[in-house]
Amino acid sequence: MSLKKFSELFGNLDSINSTNKKIEVLKSYFLSNEPINNSWAIYLLTGKINKRFISGRYLKNLFSQIYEYPQWLIDTCYLKVGDSAEVITLLLKNKTTSRNKELSNISLNELLTKKIPTLSKLNEEEKNLEIKNLWETLPEENHLIFNKILTGTFRVGVSIGLITKSISKLINIDEEIISHRLMGNFKPSIDSYEFLINKNINLEELNSKPFPFLLANSFEDKIFKHSIDEFQFEWKYDGIRMQLIKRSGNVSLWTRGQELVNESFPELVEKMSYIKDDFVLDGELLVWNFKKQIAFDFSLLQKRINRKSSPRSIQIKYPIIFIAYDLLEINGRDIREIKLENRRIELEKYFSKWQNKTKNNISDIFKICDLIYPKDWSDALTYKEKSRENNTEGLIIKKKESLYASGRKKGIWWKYKVDPMQLDAVLIYAKGGSGRRAGLYTDYSFALWKDQELIKFASAYSGLTNIEIKELDKWIRKNTIEKFGPVRSLKPEMVFEISFEKIQISKRHKSGIAVRFPRITKWRKDKKINDADCLEHAYELMKKIS
Amino acid sequence: MRTKKENLIKYKDGNLYCELADIWIDPSKPVKRALITHAHFDHFTFGCEEYISTKETAILLKERVGDNIEIKTFDYGEEFKINGINISFHPSGHILGSSQIRFIFAEEKWLISGDFKLQKDETCKQYEIVKTDYLISECTFGLPIFKWDESYKIANDISEWITNSPEKTSLLFCYSLGKAQRLLNEISKTNFNGNIYSHGSIYKMNNCYKELGIDIKDTKKIENKKKIDELKGSLILLPPSLSKGSYLKNFKNIQTAFASGWMSIRALRKRSGYDKGFVISDHADWDGILDVVKKSEAKNVFFHHGDSDVLSKYLSERESINVLFFGK
Repeated sequence: MSLKKFSELFGNLDSINSTNKKIEVLKSYFLSNEPINNSWAIYLLTGKINKRFISGRYLKNLFSQIYEYPQWLIDTCYLKVGDSAEVITLLLKNKTTSRNKELSNISLNELLTKKIPTLSKLNEEEKNLEIKNLWETLPEENHLIFNKILTGTFRVGVSIGLITKSISKLINIDEEIISHRLMGNFKPSIDSYEFLINKNINLEELNSKPFPFLLANSFEDKIFKHSIDEFQFEWKYDGIRMQLIKRSGNVSLWTRGQELVNESFPELVEKMSYIKDDFVLDGELLVWNFKKQIAFDFSLLQKRINRKSSPRSIQIKYPIIFIAYDLLEINGRDIREIKLENRRIELEKYFSKWQNKTKNNISDIFKICDLIYPKDWSDALTYKEKSRENNTEGLIIKKKESLYASGRKKGIWWKYKVDPMQLDAVLIYAKGGSGRRAGLYTDYSFALWKDQELIKFASAYSGLTNIEIKELDKWIRKNTIEKFGPVRSLKPEMVFEISFEKIQISKRHKSGIAVRFPRITKWRKDKKINDADCLEHAYELMKKIS
Repeated sequence: MRTKKENLIKYKDGNLYCELADIWIDPSKPVKRALITHAHFDHFTFGCEEYISTKETAILLKERVGDNIEIKTFDYGEEFKINGINISFHPSGHILGSSQIRFIFAEEKWLISGDFKLQKDETCKQYEIVKTDYLISECTFGLPIFKWDESYKIANDISEWITNSPEKTSLLFCYSLGKAQRLLNEISKTNFNGNIYSHGSIYKMNNCYKELGIDIKDTKKIENKKKIDELKGSLILLPPSLSKGSYLKNFKNIQTAFASGWMSIRALRKRSGYDKGFVISDHADWDGILDVVKKSEAKNVFFHHGDSDVLSKYLSERESINVLFFGK
């Protein structure tokens, strides 16, 4: 029964929008299934299974061979559906009814420990036969799950946080504890599930809990009235805000989203464990350019965080650093109630002690943030404008006398971000999206004027609301000049405000420039294409910055 | 006079047109003479001098747009002549009164499928196989990913969906003419025996169906100020146009669903914003279209309303059928 139940669970989670309802559904699933299958369910839902047994292309080819469907027909269907596993599932419908469903009672555990692993031991011909056999003997409602696991595309709108919440509610234990238990190499087994739902908490688990984060508010003009000496100034890095905890010798890395990310950054965990003292640090994790001593873009950090494991090669390719802003606890003493300026003194004191006394070199992965000392507020503004040069987003301004409260407390910490760069550009190409956005034109290319010609300068996917996407999709279909496969060239008519973070020379692009993180910030229906910016403007922007 | 090579029916200004009889089929703008295949609004426009349809279609249309239009009616299978062309309506199985239209001229047969389905539907006449030389077929769902389950299965799913959440009011969105009545007919055969309410636009059509002798379950008309407790555990049928906007604020603790063939695609289902999608359609699925093409014995086929390129390419590769394209 259990694969069927898991398919049902998937269907429910997929269609429910409410977080509370999702938690209810998960709870009742866990209550009504065996530990081993629950364990596998968690493993799948938290995305720990990411092995691709066969590719989507392979699956489509195989279907085409077995059921004599022309390849082009399957490809056309794919354009509409946006997911190979789902296309094949839809095409399989009613194809296999005549056969007996001997696998109608197969469990999730059996599928994942026997049927699917066996596939990789077979030669191609045997493998094809076995997949066909599984298609014909598995009940239809399980095809989607099966195809998705095969192609390594099993995903559903459930975060690890949601699983954590459901388990936490199920057994009435704090989320941080469950989070800690789910961390590390959670392997599907009866034991691992029983450990997860164990109501007895051990000391180590308690020790890993982070403090609630203190968050900065948006800048307010009224700060200008205060003397600049009342504040501490830091660069605002664009990395992952994190608490680095070492208690009783164990290191844990907690993100602001209550996620434990030790696995993604093992080298940091290892090096920090060399330090003799226990502590809780608040800081930022970044991929660091050690030559220039500035941060790399956030996109490189994503290459680290999106991985389930970090082999040595990845650690070298994307070297990380933890920059501490604040010291919250030292050797068991909670110091959040003392003033920031005094905490800073402690932080500096301990940092220099650790640098000198720790046997292994820690300075290649850990430092404390440099402070900035503007003379007056206009000097502070100048610093803010310079923040692009060192790849920061602006300034963080903190009251020297602030205590470490929790949440977005008003009137003590502010973020003072540099404005994004913007250009008005003309929409010239659109491409169909995939996944959720299948069947809609959601990938756009934008152009700027050069003399009388529109030159493509950026592509952007994000920034429009769902309603705007639908509206634009309709317009795109009516105003297509030419189709090249999935791409349509469009009548130049629509102007959009494109914001981006960085602009640099690029020989690879016809426009001669490349921009970072382009996104749509406004649909300028009020503008005609002649009002759009020309490439000259982009060059000027670039000069201004460098 | 028509030359041998010119087609009897062609595409003109986005509509099907028979020049010889000066007849338009489901025109989207006012013309002199319009044949109406069925009473959905996207097949009807005001201001034509003359309308011709089946009796049921005429009654439904008048109920929807008022009595002040002239409609000439014929029975299914009854032949009438315009400019020497023999014309007749045949059941298309789409909704009550819906029809295919056959033209015969100089021993050449043309068949316009209209919107059609082959699936069982007790609220209208079953699709009739009509032999023809030329077939003009709709292909709204002309991809092999579209395969419909039998409607009793969907009705059971709907019944389960409602009864599994007895504390909620279940809002099912569906087209007010045809789909709603088909669902009511099917749901009456399921285990669900709670109250069913219909929105005014659906309620009106229900009555019309009943007057025409169709067996569908009684429903209550939904009033704006219904007590919320009273609606718990019941089913409310609403037209899709009400799914967005403030209308839903009239209810508390609801779950929503949309009944449509498009709901078979996950991305569309998720994007639609409904809690659930039930895959049920009054159009033919892929196999249905292929079946009709085959059984009509047409040697020449045109497709419109949908992915016509796909079906055309498939049929010309697989079958010895000549797929033609309307000059645009």
